Amino acid sequence: MLDAERLAILTESAKYDVSCSSSGSKRANVKGGLGNASVGGICHSFTPDGRCISLLKILMSNDCQYDCEYCPNRRSADVKRASVTPDEICELVINFYKRNYIEGLFLSSAVFTSPNRTMELLTDTVIKLRKIYNFNGYIHLKGIPHADDALIMRAAKFVDRMSFNIELPSEKSLKLLAPQKTRESLILPMKKLSTALTYDKENKVRRGGVIPAGQTTQMIIGASPESDGQILRLTEALYRKMGLKRVYYSSYIPVVESPKLPTVGAGLLREHRLYQADWLIRFYGFDVSEIVGEGENLSPDYDPKCAWAMRNMHLFPVEINTAPLEMLLRVPGIGARGAQRILSARRFCALDFDNLAKMRIILKRAKHFITCKGKFYGSESGNAVKAALMLEGIKETREQLSMFSCSSVALSALSGEI
Amino acid sequence: MTYYLVDGSEDCFYTAVFDAYKNKDCIITSERDVQLGLGFEVFDVVTDENKAERVRAKINALDRGAAEDISLLLKSNASLKENVAFEYIKLIISNGGAVRAMQANPTVIEMTQIRTRVYGEAHKLKGFLRFMENADGVMYAPYSPDNDITDILAVHFAARFNGRPFVIHDIKRKIAAMYDGNEIVMTYAGDAEIYLSEYEDYFQNLWKQYYNSVNIASRPHEKQMRGYMPVRYWKFLPEKR
Repeated sequence: MLDAERLAILTESAKYDVSCSSSGSKRANVKGGLGNASVGGICHSFTPDGRCISLLKILMSNDCQYDCEYCPNRRSADVKRASVTPDEICELVINFYKRNYIEGLFLSSAVFTSPNRTMELLTDTVIKLRKIYNFNGYIHLKGIPHADDALIMRAAKFVDRMSFNIELPSEKSLKLLAPQKTRESLILPMKKLSTALTYDKENKVRRGGVIPAGQTTQMIIGASPESDGQILRLTEALYRKMGLKRVYYSSYIPVVESPKLPTVGAGLLREHRLYQADWLIRFYGFDVSEIVGEGENLSPDYDPKCAWAMRNMHLFPVEINTAPLEMLLRVPGIGARGAQRILSARRFCALDFDNLAKMRIILKRAKHFITCKGKFYGSESGNAVKAALMLEGIKETREQLSMFSCSSVALSALSGEI
Repeated sequence: MTYYLVDGSEDCFYTAVFDAYKNKDCIITSERDVQLGLGFEVFDVVTDENKAERVRAKINALDRGAAEDISLLLKSNASLKENVAFEYIKLIISNGGAVRAMQANPTVIEMTQIRTRVYGEAHKLKGFLRFMENADGVMYAPYSPDNDITDILAVHFAARFNGRPFVIHDIKRKIAAMYDGNEIVMTYAGDAEIYLSEYEDYFQNLWKQYYNSVNIASRPHEKQMRGYMPVRYWKFLPEKR
């Protein structure tokens, strides 16, 4: 059975993978089986860094053949190495799941022996977990670049979600920092999976389909010179052309001294702004061209929605009782749920400012951009609006940063992520 | 003003709705320690299944989702939950159909808030409930939730643990949901004496190790942790004890 020391090594190595979601799948249990998936996902605990634990995040091995510049497990790094067997992982998953510690497994691995051998062992493990241990909870499997398509597609039939990490926002940077990985080795399997997903959807495949919770990916921000505009164009393509569920960003922080890596981190505010823009693309009907120009970066002072609204003041204020959903979604401070609530409530009565407050619509920012029954409650001049929003922005930014407050020494543990 | 005192069960509540419906000046409550003033009268409601059924049928005819809303409201620990549910029913009847979408209406706002709190806690505890394995292989989970959500959780875990017996024990309300592998039975349960499996310690320790390892210590944000996982739930979490 697995001992605490190996568990510690393999968890420490896996924890920089940002994804922790267990949503998107509604896998049912079978008679006598253990577990099912909850479509909204369930968090089982929270660590002192504020992140949730939903899945058992673990590597099969951290003994890597590759030498990616930014990675704590790269071949040339001097770290303790460990590995586990498929059965050890299965037993741990079953026993943690039975106690309701976890929602499922997030299995990844360093590339040992060869990509195919690694992928094979990962696949064997998830198949064992499903067939021998009869486990029907959530499984997120990391794809290994350069592994055979057949192996990847076989694994995809047994897991809920798969992810290939795109690592860096451009091919040039990938070549420089992760020389053993190529753009094709990451993009081609993602395309294959995306095609298989589309096939399942079009043919209404219910059982035995591939990755019901879709694909995600992750990239490091700030280790290479790409602008936010470039990054978000890539993101948009991944969502709209490849049908990805999530793109995760991880802000680069120097942990390894290398002439190829910058000596200063990207800052966590940048990561935060990218996530905000990401949400606008996915849930608010924005095109990336409206958010930021190709060579530009997002403004650190305002969130991207505010920034867009201030560039487009001629479209505001909008009347809350008549504005279409697309426009409500573009009002700074009104979220997707708030917009739906307004839409639903105004079918029954005309809403005034007081109604909105009682419905818990946050009006601090929104008041500058809306009218209620023709009445306006915001600041009249564009400059006053800017000043007010700037103040809000600073407050928000401070809070955001205090959540990452740490000394530079401590920061070193936060690598550029795997 | 008339107080209709109910015993906390759904049937009793619906009976009270039947009795109180025409009374313009009344409150339905399960709180026993109400302060009475001059001109107040108290009416102890005795469950009448016939009356309860008639109210249910009426509500179901108007809005098929309302019974679930009310069921969730009645599990709440909010002091005026019965009355909010009563107002909600009156609104459905006067409107002649579902009112859930009237999101600016004060009764609907109140209903939605209480419902969200109950449902939200049930969702949270689907994650935070911790089972221990006893010597016979039965999984046992003690907890003390704010709202009375044991039956909601039991249904969730019965689907997951298909065929494996478990007990979910609300030690504050002294009730338990027992699942024998086939069906769920709700029962009174005072103190429980548990003999743990010999492996229990081993897995609890591994879990604690995992919890400590997966944390990124250099990125502290305890405030967020406490926000998502309130301290009152910690005493049942091995990783936080």
